[in-house]
Amino acid sequence: MNKELEHSFVELLEKHQNIVHKVCRLYTNNYDAHNDLFQEITIQLWKAYPKFRGDAKFSTWMYRVGLNTAITLYRKSKRSIKTQDFQGVEFKIKAEDYDDTEEQQLKVLYKAVHQLNDIDKALVFLYLEDKNYNEISETLGITQVNARVKMNRIKTKLRTILNP
Amino acid sequence: MDGLDLLKKDWDNESSKKKLSVKDIYPMLHKKSSSIVKTLFYISIAELIFWILVNSIPYFTSDTYKQRLDGVFQNDFIFKSITIISYAIILLFIYLLYKSYKSISITDSAKKLMESILKTRKIIKYYVLYNLIVAGLSLIIGFYYALHNAPNTAIDFASISDKKMVLIILVITLITAVFVLVIWLFYKLIYGLLLKRLNRNYKELKKLEVE
Repeated sequence: MNKELEHSFVELLEKHQNIVHKVCRLYTNNYDAHNDLFQEITIQLWKAYPKFRGDAKFSTWMYRVGLNTAITLYRKSKRSIKTQDFQGVEFKIKAEDYDDTEEQQLKVLYKAVHQLNDIDKALVFLYLEDKNYNEISETLGITQVNARVKMNRIKTKLRTILNP
Repeated sequence: MDGLDLLKKDWDNESSKKKLSVKDIYPMLHKKSSSIVKTLFYISIAELIFWILVNSIPYFTSDTYKQRLDGVFQNDFIFKSITIISYAIILLFIYLLYKSYKSISITDSAKKLMESILKTRKIIKYYVLYNLIVAGLSLIIGFYYALHNAPNTAIDFASISDKKMVLIILVITLITAVFVLVIWLFYKLIYGLLLKRLNRNYKELKKLEVE
């Protein structure tokens, strides 16, 4: 692989690395797992880079490769948190976790989001990244209606977690 | 404040943090990937080679085996056509696998990507199934020919009573079945472990469509 290509890729990735960090943040729960997933996404991005055409935005392209790696390709899932059905989430959060301060609320929220399944996490991620439903549906391969319905359910759940 | 709004506020603040430098990223490009597609690829290659070896080695290494096989089939034409067909099938599988790997693209939607990987896995599954069926059939046919055609064993078996004969056939069928089943379970385990997460997420995506 030629040096120029490598150089341009590394510069772009360095600039947009936050996208990858954010994917890792949602899908892993400790430092080592975060780095492992970051490493794998980097390899996948690099492998796909020669086929990357300038007509798509580099960041948009990164969302796809990043999420696909996290949801589908990544094998070392042992170190990441176990996912489970959303229904069970509220029971997991103990009474002492509730607090009026924003910081406490955030803690509770992140805890709840971490317990979502991989697909729901992807929805939350794209939503937090201000992606519209068209982009969300295209990235995941589901219809816009289904993406919207699911997202609304997640929102309602998160709201009830903060105001039970 | 709404749950997600709060999360979003914090999320956007996160954006300003940069962690790795260009120097940190360079070595990452050349590390080994641990993606399931890569593992699947190695497994499929290993399986292709394994079954080709299983089918070919006895024929090429042992002259007596070759003679016996030739004797069993008697008609050279039948034997030749079976060999050609079996290699054609292997080539067909290689072609299908190659095409299927080519179609796996990480820039597809999550659902499409999962479907391409599952399709590849299915081709490997059919390849193994095909080999197991052929192995099972050859054992049974081989036994049948041994009983009726081979001069030495035919005499031995002639003195065995019908009851005993049924028992022998049953035992051999059972051994064949167990052999095939054990290999099949072994594959189930390998792929089950490898694709557990993918299957779970694929089901989750499918569930969204049904609701």
